[in-house]
Amino acid sequence: MDQFYGYGIYAISLLTVGGMYAILTLGLNLQWGFAGLFNAGIAGFFAVGAYVTAILTKPEAPEHLGGYGLPMAPAIAVAMLVAAAIAWAIGRICIRLRSDYLAIATIGIAEILRLILKNETWATNGPRGISSIPRAFEYLPDPWDKLAFMALVLVTVLVIYLALEKAWRSPWGRVMTAIRDSEDAARAAGKDVESFRLQAFVLGSALMALGGAYYGQYTKYFGPDSSDPASVTFLVWVMLIAGGSANNRGAVLGAFLLWTIWSGTQIVTGWLPREISLFGVAIPDVPVRAAYLRIFLIGLVLQVVLQRYSKGILPETRPAVLGRRITRGPEPGRQG
Amino acid sequence: MRRILLAGAAVLATATAGTAEVKLGSLGGVTGPIAEIVALLMEGRELAARHVNEQGGLFADGQQLTLVVGDSACDPKAAVDAATKLVNVDQVVAIVGPNCSGATLAAAQSVTIPAGVVILSESATSPAITALDDKDLVFRAAPSDAYQGIALANYILGQGVKTVALTNANDDYNAGLAAEFAKAFEAAGGKIAAHQVHEPNKANYRAEVATLGGAKADALVVFAYYGSSGIAIIRNALETGAYSKFFGADGMVNDELVNQLGVDALKDAAFTTPGADDSTGAFKAYMELAKDLKQPLGPYVPNAYDATFLLALAIEKAGSADRSKIAAALREVATPPGEVILPGEWAKAKALIAEGKDINYEGATGSLDFDAAGDVPGTYTLNTVTPDGKFAAKLLK
Amino acid sequence: MWEFVNFYLIPGLVLGCIYALGALGITLTFGILRFANFAHGEVMMLGTYLALTMVWLFGLHPLLAALPAMALTALLMLGLDRAFFRPFRSAPTIISVIASFGLMLMIRSAVQVIWGTQPRPILPGVQRPQAWLDGAILLAPKHVWILLATLAIMAAIHLLLTRTRIGKAMRAVADSPELARLTGIPVETVIRATWVVAAATAVAAGVMLAIDTQVETMMGFKMLLPMFAAAILGGIGRPFGAVAGGLVIGVAEELSAYPWLGTAPLLNPAYKSGIAFAIMVAMLVWRPSGLFRGRVL
Repeated sequence: MDQFYGYGIYAISLLTVGGMYAILTLGLNLQWGFAGLFNAGIAGFFAVGAYVTAILTKPEAPEHLGGYGLPMAPAIAVAMLVAAAIAWAIGRICIRLRSDYLAIATIGIAEILRLILKNETWATNGPRGISSIPRAFEYLPDPWDKLAFMALVLVTVLVIYLALEKAWRSPWGRVMTAIRDSEDAARAAGKDVESFRLQAFVLGSALMALGGAYYGQYTKYFGPDSSDPASVTFLVWVMLIAGGSANNRGAVLGAFLLWTIWSGTQIVTGWLPREISLFGVAIPDVPVRAAYLRIFLIGLVLQVVLQRYSKGILPETRPAVLGRRITRGPEPGRQG
Repeated sequence: MRRILLAGAAVLATATAGTAEVKLGSLGGVTGPIAEIVALLMEGRELAARHVNEQGGLFADGQQLTLVVGDSACDPKAAVDAATKLVNVDQVVAIVGPNCSGATLAAAQSVTIPAGVVILSESATSPAITALDDKDLVFRAAPSDAYQGIALANYILGQGVKTVALTNANDDYNAGLAAEFAKAFEAAGGKIAAHQVHEPNKANYRAEVATLGGAKADALVVFAYYGSSGIAIIRNALETGAYSKFFGADGMVNDELVNQLGVDALKDAAFTTPGADDSTGAFKAYMELAKDLKQPLGPYVPNAYDATFLLALAIEKAGSADRSKIAAALREVATPPGEVILPGEWAKAKALIAEGKDINYEGATGSLDFDAAGDVPGTYTLNTVTPDGKFAAKLLK
Repeated sequence: MWEFVNFYLIPGLVLGCIYALGALGITLTFGILRFANFAHGEVMMLGTYLALTMVWLFGLHPLLAALPAMALTALLMLGLDRAFFRPFRSAPTIISVIASFGLMLMIRSAVQVIWGTQPRPILPGVQRPQAWLDGAILLAPKHVWILLATLAIMAAIHLLLTRTRIGKAMRAVADSPELARLTGIPVETVIRATWVVAAATAVAAGVMLAIDTQVETMMGFKMLLPMFAAAILGGIGRPFGAVAGGLVIGVAEELSAYPWLGTAPLLNPAYKSGIAFAIMVAMLVWRPSGLFRGRVL
């Protein structure tokens, strides 16, 4: 009985974390899938969302800024606004850069943001991080607290998904993809390319902050190690590309699927015996080595997915035009 | 896809088939920024589990103690995920680890405290863990930084060194330790001539060392992990002739330090580690048992042994793999009164528990008598490098 | 005055040389294959572990051990290209970038499984600096080696790119792949040559970094972003731009901590790694073609 209850709790955690990543992939899809913006600074916005929410909702603590005791919803709204403001400032100067260059610029800016959060100890407690972050519904008895938090995350994903689907089919979404596929044509049609791109960048970054705000609550502790680019920026990119960019369903699928692989592989490696004898050679410390091997396997799975589904598991489909669906035209990105 | 799922289900079924074993979670930063330190201390945990299993296992029917490794990667997100799996999927009785303080705070608050599972970390030293509202479920086999800062400050002042330059790596552990040390050192009348925070994992630290050297202090105090910046700082300080006298703490104690810098360079260096007193029987017993480990006295390796052995004793004492009884049992086996149990004495402890007698484990790292917050008192050892390139440990009084 | 040279300028130049060698490969692959190769740092790390193994097995000097390691890594790189990059030659850039990210994870974890995670010295001991110019300049022998070896490699690359057929073809493809293809340049051969040069220079950079510090599994990843910054600063596809960019970034990182005003460092050294990023972002925004008019992709 305990065992099945345990599987249930683990399934809840998979859905909760998968849902938080889905918020991030949907935000990225808005930037990359819609507008063709290569944002590689996800970790920065994620961290801003988590820190701002934590500082605003926590009771006063001597180690860092705080004591505002705001309720959850307004605190998250402020966090998203702060991230949006930062994104707007970055976007103003960087938005005209194309693909890889924007990627490298945003990665640099995100690292500078993370350095600031790590070094301005008076505000963020520096490398020691913020502990005891309040989580929504944590006053409920076990397991209802976890279920309610999961429901909150999943409902948020659903709302964002529906909103983005609507946007995708709207004239706004069509302008966005038009700009992505041919900037010059869109400009010639009289569209303010820079302004549309900036909108996508700011909205997407605010969603990333929302993901961070939930994640900070979920782990109840947030520090500089929490927004390591490898487990935030890169993982989210992998999720989006594997799931299918420019397809909101693909973005959500990628998040849940990749998170399940990322997390689930560890259960298997954890079961390996301490020592394996291979061709007569004893290999010690197997569980420790298996932890590295797991990362290797994740890399390999990624390569296989890329080679089999280079457009993602659910590729882009255009909204119905004249009653029929057409597949996507020229790819963005590779501008000779 | 379906085939993969079926294969997964098959693995799941075989792995959870009931065998006579007791699962103990072994959570640690196996990958990530301190992977090299964790790889060493995982050996300490494994050694303790081996001793338990070789001397009759757990309970009357000799069940095997199995360590289920979870990778907390020194990342709070990964720690929460790994702890969720250990607690719910693997249904471990208790958890030894995790290693980094941030990962410990996240795993404890998000997963293990609500689930009522005991965690015993051998290396998370942040004072913030003391203050945690932990329902008596979070324990540590390493003393809080606050004590180590005081111990090192007093030792340095006792050596007649009144002015030091201080540098620390910008991570939770070393920044905390540096803050506690600076407070204690200045309170006791010492002077910190320069304090320079450095980012770990840089190629060189000559600019930092130049600034520190400009302070013309008597010695350099380095709080860092040896691999990610500690060796580089000392190397740069020696190369530029800025300092030749060094002090530091447990993150620095590793044979690699001597391998890379040489014995000569370190003749005026001393580092504190949490309480391994080489005059005690417990320490000698541990050294004898641990002589096959790569580094028996590497950072937190003896603590890892003690933490794992203690949790095994607590499970034996509790009489069953019942999570809710572990905390109380842990306090009973770790603290007086009771017959003293030294590292490796599993068969003796098992017999005493079977007779209903009290036991009191004395570990390689000290008495491990938990206080109300689940912390152990600070006894500290001073580690110096001997002419043959080994670390010698001596208890700080 | 001499303190400035000895503690800030020279370390900056040494670091800059290492960045420069690493950025060389990045700028060539970026210019010719047209994607940002995130696995470049790991290739550098893998090659350094191979060199370390040569040192262990044959007792070679690290600089000598670098040569077979460079050859081995170049061969490996050709295999990796075939398996993981070649299928995506005509796919969108992002796919190659993500593939390089996957490769980065795979190489690093393979090295961790094979060699373990303990940092290792490739050149144990402390080299005390020797006095030059009546004791005004302090320079350790290993730093002299690093500076000289970098110069030698630069000269070799210069000859390769200007005097050989394949080098000229590489430059042509970097300038305009369509034009190069039309004029009958075998693009696949050029790509292979690019990987060989990129892998070899990366290993050289890794071994020098290891001589100055140590060999460890995260060394590639932590050098990756500064190397990207150097490549961009110099202009994509411009090998000598990458060298200049590397030197500028190396020196700027070190000089940012110099007490220019008063006695405190100008910038808290904890922010030092932000310097490379700040220079890179500023360059991208105001002059995306870099110092040496590289390509704007």
